[in-house]
Amino acid sequence: MSQSLNIAATSRTPEVSFDLEAKAAVIEGECYPEDADKFFTALNSIVDNYFATQNTLALQVKLIYFNSSSARALMELMDSLEQRASQGMSVNVNWFYEEGDDITQEFIEDVVSDYKHLQLSVSPTLG
Amino acid sequence: MDIAKFSQLREILPEDRFMLCYSGYVSESVLEAVGGTLKERLDLHVTEKKKIKVVFSIFVELMQNLIRYGAAGPKGAQIPNEEHAGFGMLMIIEEADNSICLLSGNYVSSEQKLAMESRLEKLLGKSQDELRVLMKDQMRKAPEVQSKGASLGLIEIARRSTKPIEAAFVPAANSQHFFSIKAYV
Repeated sequence: MSQSLNIAATSRTPEVSFDLEAKAAVIEGECYPEDADKFFTALNSIVDNYFATQNTLALQVKLIYFNSSSARALMELMDSLEQRASQGMSVNVNWFYEEGDDITQEFIEDVVSDYKHLQLSVSPTLG
Repeated sequence: MDIAKFSQLREILPEDRFMLCYSGYVSESVLEAVGGTLKERLDLHVTEKKKIKVVFSIFVELMQNLIRYGAAGPKGAQIPNEEHAGFGMLMIIEEADNSICLLSGNYVSSEQKLAMESRLEKLLGKSQDELRVLMKDQMRKAPEVQSKGASLGLIEIARRSTKPIEAAFVPAANSQHFFSIKAYV
């Protein structure tokens, strides 16, 4: 009846899985598609579908590597989660990265840490 | 290819250090294949995980620039059987001091050269802190009209390079220019 809330991993895009019962989601793998818009459009529509029936989300981000155009798209995804959090949804983001991964660490410091409504925890324990 | 010329290549390419070269059309499938080889070879050759990640990251940005901005080729030929590809050259080579040098080159029109020069102007000579601020600002801006990607690739390359990036334009046939960029890890 409903659309799938999952995207299978490819060699250049991560696995995405949203679980309505657990009210949780995971984005896991590497992300460097040439056409980041295409992948993130699909991901954003899953987020929309998820929040059509839910008001709580615990999201785990476990990205080993993402390229610069995915960084922008990830920022827009996080912006949309922040907006939902500001509208009263409960949004928890647990961001895992590999220790020494400056690309992710700086992305979190420069972009994700600015949000005021979503709950963020960061953990350098990936890999 | 003259067999003597081929033999001469050996003189400029090191035999005892890491090296990977690619020349030709770059598409997503080429990026994937060359990237897979690069990862395997780096894993065998480089012990620092962080260094491997940075080399791979710059490699991806360079290859995606070639896909996006690579011209139709030196003779203006059509790209065969590829939905989205550009012509370019890539060299990843270890220097005597163990740093890894990444170079890529592609043909650009005079118009593209001007656009590229204005993008480079914002980057060259900037400190790491300045580049970090530039990246943050650029992420919040809409992509440039000229830019088919997110206009962030060049900044990312400059940020991750452990030495200042270098760029060059050499005049080529058919009013084109050969644009090269060099980074280090």
